[in-house]
Amino acid sequence: MRRLLFLVKEAFSSLRRNLLVVSAAVVSVFISLTLVFGALVLSELVKVNTARWQEGDHVIVFLKDDVTNQAETDLEAEIRSWPEVSEVWFCDKACAYDEFKQMFAEQPGLLENVDPSILPTSLRIRLHNIDTYMDVIYQLKGNAAIRKIVAASDAFDQLSSVTKALNWLALGLAIVLGIASIVLIANTIRMAIYARRDEIQVMRLVGASNWFIRVPFLLEGMIQGLVGAALAVVAIWLGQNFIAGQIPEDFIVRATVGQGFLVSRSLAVLVFGALAGVLGSAAGVRRFLKV
Amino acid sequence: MILLEGVTKVYEGGTVALRDVDLDVKKGEFVFVVGPSGSGKSTLISLLLREQRATRGKIWVAGKDITKMPAWKVPHLRRSVGTVFQDYKLLPNRTVSENVGFALEVLGRPSSIVNRQVQQVLELVGLQTKGDRYPRQLSGGEQQRVSVARAFVNRPPILLADEPTGNLDPATSVGIMRVLDRVNRTGTTVVMATHDHAIVDAMRRRVVQLDRGRIIRDETRGTYESVNGRNNGDA
Repeated sequence: MRRLLFLVKEAFSSLRRNLLVVSAAVVSVFISLTLVFGALVLSELVKVNTARWQEGDHVIVFLKDDVTNQAETDLEAEIRSWPEVSEVWFCDKACAYDEFKQMFAEQPGLLENVDPSILPTSLRIRLHNIDTYMDVIYQLKGNAAIRKIVAASDAFDQLSSVTKALNWLALGLAIVLGIASIVLIANTIRMAIYARRDEIQVMRLVGASNWFIRVPFLLEGMIQGLVGAALAVVAIWLGQNFIAGQIPEDFIVRATVGQGFLVSRSLAVLVFGALAGVLGSAAGVRRFLKV
Repeated sequence: MILLEGVTKVYEGGTVALRDVDLDVKKGEFVFVVGPSGSGKSTLISLLLREQRATRGKIWVAGKDITKMPAWKVPHLRRSVGTVFQDYKLLPNRTVSENVGFALEVLGRPSSIVNRQVQQVLELVGLQTKGDRYPRQLSGGEQQRVSVARAFVNRPPILLADEPTGNLDPATSVGIMRVLDRVNRTGTTVVMATHDHAIVDAMRRRVVQLDRGRIIRDETRGTYESVNGRNNGDA
């Protein structure tokens, strides 16, 4: 316990001594992790918003007018049996007219002139996994009862590729900026080792174990990484709250990610920061501290 | 306590610092290692501390073969060997007590033991009233006594001193030698590298003379210069 206290004290006094270089390393970790975290949040926002849009019907199958009730029920049953499909329901002419009325509520003139009987009936399909919509469409193609198949396909594709791009961006940033931060931390550790070379020499002379000499430097690096990561977490929380405050609750795009997401990713960012700190100081100690 | 067998040290670039050195130092002995600069005194000391490895030969310190010792055991070796250097190697931002206690603190000794042992060893070197001073407030002789206190606070069986009086005037040097003598009387083996004629002649202890890396004289109650005039080390 006493030794632990001694080591922590050493680490902090060394941090104080090199305040300027240490600040540079901390700021670098802070900026890196803020960018990484920001990209993660953006990607999550895109996902949250697509999920919302995906709440509607995934595939709409418009049926020909001459389709018998029997043919319609058979088709509905068949679709329901496919493993990709989670739900199918039949939207008859009355249902179609209700939707039509909703869509054109602001154009009463149009409504008056439309006879509900000309609107097509349709089967509405919801999928377990939105990515399988192409399979479903393929299976339906060529069916004599079908007039037209509509899927919100393009929107899905684009959004999922945006999410993917953002995730790759986050990963790329994490790697490139992570390396930069590690190098910077290694450099501050070099300065710290240089500043304390007399002490290190004396420690060696009196037989302090190698780990005892190294641990303060490892702690020092870890603290730098953690502080930078903590700043990044605070910045993202504040930024997220600020943006959420600017955008009204019922706006078409949601600007908040879930609390669970924020908490778990914050923890990940803290762990990542601490890890980068330890890696950086380990590299510095390995390179510059000969014991 | 210390045993060297056929020890040779060749530095990178081919400089031979020690050639085929055999030396046996018994427990409780006080040995002067003398010789001019470059004769190999400091190399010998640093080999005993395993700061460097011998190129050839075997070295035992405190019963252990340190030529075969893995690196992670070296700190344990150094706990049984106290060291004193010409430049004191004190930490300027720590008081006398803290400097001495540092040696125990890094070994994880509880503070009650640290305080007691620091007080005891400061009395031994005659600095019991100066525990709260900083090194810069002390004379050179006093600083060197702090350094001896730090080397001895852990009660190691061996104390190595490399030119401990090199920076001190003759009167002060005598004070340091008294302290080292006191340490030796507690049963500690002392090996001191020096080229201080007056001290070696006054103490009349075992003298090992090095010249260009070879032991050319080993007398039990010797003087700095060889009495019969042969094998003079210039100094």
